[in-house]
Amino acid sequence: MKKALLLLLQLGVVASIATGCAVNRATAHVEPGTRLSEIKTVHVKKFASDNADTDRLIADKLRTKGVSATTGTAPANKVDAVVTYVEKWMWDITMYMLELTVVIRDPKDDYPLATGNSYHTSLTRKSPREMVDEVIDNIYKEQGQ
Amino acid sequence: MNASQRARPGMTRTSLTALLATLWLVGCASPANREAMVPTDVTAARPHPHSVSVLASGGADTGAMDSSNIADEDLKAAIEEAVTRNKVFTSVVQGKSGDYELSVRVTRLTKPLFGMTFTVEMEAAWSLTRVADRSVVLRRSINASGSAGAGDSLVGVKRLRLAVEAAARANIAEGLKAISALTL
Repeated sequence: MKKALLLLLQLGVVASIATGCAVNRATAHVEPGTRLSEIKTVHVKKFASDNADTDRLIADKLRTKGVSATTGTAPANKVDAVVTYVEKWMWDITMYMLELTVVIRDPKDDYPLATGNSYHTSLTRKSPREMVDEVIDNIYKEQGQ
Repeated sequence: MNASQRARPGMTRTSLTALLATLWLVGCASPANREAMVPTDVTAARPHPHSVSVLASGGADTGAMDSSNIADEDLKAAIEEAVTRNKVFTSVVQGKSGDYELSVRVTRLTKPLFGMTFTVEMEAAWSLTRVADRSVVLRRSINASGSAGAGDSLVGVKRLRLAVEAAARANIAEGLKAISALTL
């Protein structure tokens, strides 16, 4: 009986601190009126808690789309768009990127012009490069490019 | 057979019961409640003498194995209710028959995975368009956050939902304040 109470207590603690289970998801949206083909220069703003040089991976991927991309905290020159991202990591035997959100913004007012998000849990985990590829490809696919 | 081996089947039954009881008590994640996302503290600087229609997008349904999300239709209903309750516009209409079109798109909803106090950050792209000439009178990215602690609920999935609702409430309040400050 004591063991059962202990187990119930442990499960209660887990239920208390955990927010729920997880799913796999990949979404993208491009704001009406935005033409990604007209975005030729971007600056990828480094995320403060970047664990995998994701800014460089995003810049590399954008270059394959014909976009000139720089990385760092602030752009050196005027650019057509600023790219921000948020990555979330999880541990399951090893660390892996659980979620990546990439937002392409108007540099004038930070308004989101296009957004992509991928969420993959442990069993279908992807490398940071694969996550970046999926998110950026989905954004461009959304506009049929 | 020793005492521990004899106790094992009973223990397994008890453990299973405890597990089922916990799962029943905790339940699955539920979506953000539309009523709970309506801010009441938006003081409209000047109620606009126009009608508005609302479009909401970028949200997601809450799956059985997921954590709390905001569904588009719930966000739309919450914004419409907030506009009406806070007298931001004269009336809210459906379809494209309004004087203005308000579009709110969730671009980021950052939720914690573990913790005691959950803080959720929400970014939404707000744009207000005058229907007559399709001119954009407001275009803004609004960031807001909401928190829920153990005092709000001891159950993690519920605490997260409360934090999501608080973030949405703060975001809607911020967006409507920006609209209220406009001269239309």
